[in-house]
Amino acid sequence: MPDAVRQTDDADGWVCKDLPTDLGAVRETEREVLARLRTLGYDDDQLFAVRLALEEALVNAMKHGNRLDPDLSVRVAYLATAERVEIRVADQGPGFKPDRVPDPTADENLERPCGRGIMLMRCYMDEVAFSESGNEVAMVKYR
Amino acid sequence: MEIQTRREGSCRVVQISGSADINSSAALRETLLGAVEGGDTHIVCDLGETDFICSDALGVLITAYLKARGRGGFLHLASPRDHLAEILETTRLDRLFSIYPDVHAALSSC
Repeated sequence: MPDAVRQTDDADGWVCKDLPTDLGAVRETEREVLARLRTLGYDDDQLFAVRLALEEALVNAMKHGNRLDPDLSVRVAYLATAERVEIRVADQGPGFKPDRVPDPTADENLERPCGRGIMLMRCYMDEVAFSESGNEVAMVKYR
Repeated sequence: MEIQTRREGSCRVVQISGSADINSSAALRETLLGAVEGGDTHIVCDLGETDFICSDALGVLITAYLKARGRGGFLHLASPRDHLAEILETTRLDRLFSIYPDVHAALSSC
């Protein structure tokens, strides 16, 4: 079972953390990233957008990627500058095909209680890209 | 997140304060589904003090809405602040829910 959060910082400014598959770790990670962005002058709209996208990415990684398996971990890496924030979230699950997720805004899907996370990430970040296997997402928000 | 509920005539008003995130959606589910299953099928969710909502919490609202509707009731949303109103519009859930500018307006429609 992964221990608590492990963090490494590299010379290029990227902060990398290995999170346990524990939904309780989501909020603390958001707080840390948002605190960094606040010091860089990001406004409330940008902070809200990043928080939402990060929440959806982390929850997807833990729930749907790692299927809440406590033996697996989620790697989150972020680079925050005055111009942009880049965030990468990777799980250890089998991956998926993002383009096969039904459009949650279609009339026939409006009553479905799930399936909005990826759509929200795409709406609130400027760039969102999944790896070919689908178990890593890279997102960018420009200030 | 803090949840407070009160009765207003035949309606149950559920005030959600703070962040409706993944760590609080279970409490929201328990409150809303508990209300419906306990016979409170006319529900107004007051979002005036809700500063964040994730897709999981949106799913809770949808599930409670469907259960209330299935029992002949409703679940209306009231006073969403700008960020929440934008999410409801972006997801097109403003087509599913009846959304009112304040609780009084939601109650007046009942």
